[in-house]
Amino acid sequence: MRRLLIGLFALVVLAGAAAVAQEGHPLKGSWIGTWSGNTVHGNDVLLVLTWDGKNITGTINPGTDNMVIKNASLNPEGWVVHLEADAKDKSGAVVTYVLDGKIENLAMHNRGITGTWKSQRGSGQLKINRQ
Amino acid sequence: MRLRPAGVLIVAVASAIVLATDRGAAHHAISAKFDDTKPITLNGIVTLVDWANPHVHVFVNVKDAKNQLLNWAVELESPIDLQQSGWNNDTLVPGDAITVQGISARNGSRQAWGRSIVVNATGRQVLNVKPMAPPVPLAPRPTPLWPDGQPRLGAVPGSDGYWAFPSSTVMVENGVKVDVDEYGLLKNVADAAKVAPMQPWALGLYQNRQRRFLQDDPTFVNCKPPGGPRQFQQRYGIQFMEDRARQRIFVLIGGGNRNFRIIYTDGRGQVGQVSGDDDNPLYYGRAVGKWEGSTFVTDTRGFNEDFWFTNGGLPHTDQLRLVERFTRVDLDTMRYEVTVEDAGAYTRPWSSGWTLRWVGGETLPVHFCQDNRP
Repeated sequence: MRRLLIGLFALVVLAGAAAVAQEGHPLKGSWIGTWSGNTVHGNDVLLVLTWDGKNITGTINPGTDNMVIKNASLNPEGWVVHLEADAKDKSGAVVTYVLDGKIENLAMHNRGITGTWKSQRGSGQLKINRQ
Repeated sequence: MRLRPAGVLIVAVASAIVLATDRGAAHHAISAKFDDTKPITLNGIVTLVDWANPHVHVFVNVKDAKNQLLNWAVELESPIDLQQSGWNNDTLVPGDAITVQGISARNGSRQAWGRSIVVNATGRQVLNVKPMAPPVPLAPRPTPLWPDGQPRLGAVPGSDGYWAFPSSTVMVENGVKVDVDEYGLLKNVADAAKVAPMQPWALGLYQNRQRRFLQDDPTFVNCKPPGGPRQFQQRYGIQFMEDRARQRIFVLIGGGNRNFRIIYTDGRGQVGQVSGDDDNPLYYGRAVGKWEGSTFVTDTRGFNEDFWFTNGGLPHTDQLRLVERFTRVDLDTMRYEVTVEDAGAYTRPWSSGWTLRWVGGETLPVHFCQDNRP
């Protein structure tokens, strides 16, 4: 919970401008939800994503884990999302996360992404919604 | 200014033509809410006439097949349009028995778009809002000028006027021919890629909006301002107020929330309407303008992504930059040209344009998008 609260604070600080973006690139904005079963970085997850015209960039759990998105794509055919980011566990070992999902309720400002996450340390369901 | 009798006659005839002309599209795409393939006839008793913007609603008690009394909402055009078609307080009153013909709501609710209303007792058709041809200009009248020879975008002192009746209510790239209705709804979604040079995600989003009959339009759903070129394709027009003393031009928007845009003409750079507004993007952006000969040219950036900048739902991003050119060809005609630069949503800059007609002797119609009403 502390992680989420810190994350929410970071969301307010870092993503104020993105909060109004509702009708532009569908991934742009802040997304909050769960990557269930994640024993390394907690069950709750926060993503802040943006679009510069060519690339989707962003951070997972800004302010706490600060996992920089290193690879991302959105396929409008089915609105399929793919995200990759590196993190470190408590021992300092690199953990690479791969998130795959699909945008649901595309037309809504609080659209969601449902899919899966996986890393060397586990896998599970991903469910996040745009704030 | 004094008009000679012949001049009075010309102005009167022109005004009559303008007043008799339909304003084009309704507040929202009718097909966003109602299904043209589902006609419906309602026979019932009027319980309420809800006379409010953006659409008048007539509520009617109708008996269903089980003889159960159900209340239906019949949506009509705006109060302005109904008034101009001859409606008044006595046209329909609670207790009147009427027959309504229209089309059903897409969501299956007890709502219908009214196309015909007949008062059963008299057989009188009371819904007469019919599309009419755009105003036909009489002989071209010279462009009004300021004392220094610069064209006026607005009315001359002592008179009123605004711009409306765009020659197109749809924005597509110059030279593109697609079959599209006045709300921007494509007849064939497969034509979407022709409309403008969209990036794949923008094309996908545009197609999604089209397939949903534009029902998610924030201007319709949430009364969001019609920023960008869309403001010049509004049903109730726009009005220029040139404040030369303060070196700015106000663009008053007739539809939507009756809001306005400021175009600075004092030579400032792109610093905007709100001090230091890099993190406060706007519906109408940050606009600066200057005259190039007889054409007023604006450069606008700093848009937010909270609205649709065209009828029909072409996407944009906060990288959107608009270069707009306004040329008052004659008193009655404004040529509007716009170049869209948005590397976030489009693969290259593209342009579009249309003309607007002068509605002389009037101010903007009073039409509000109220309380997120449908």
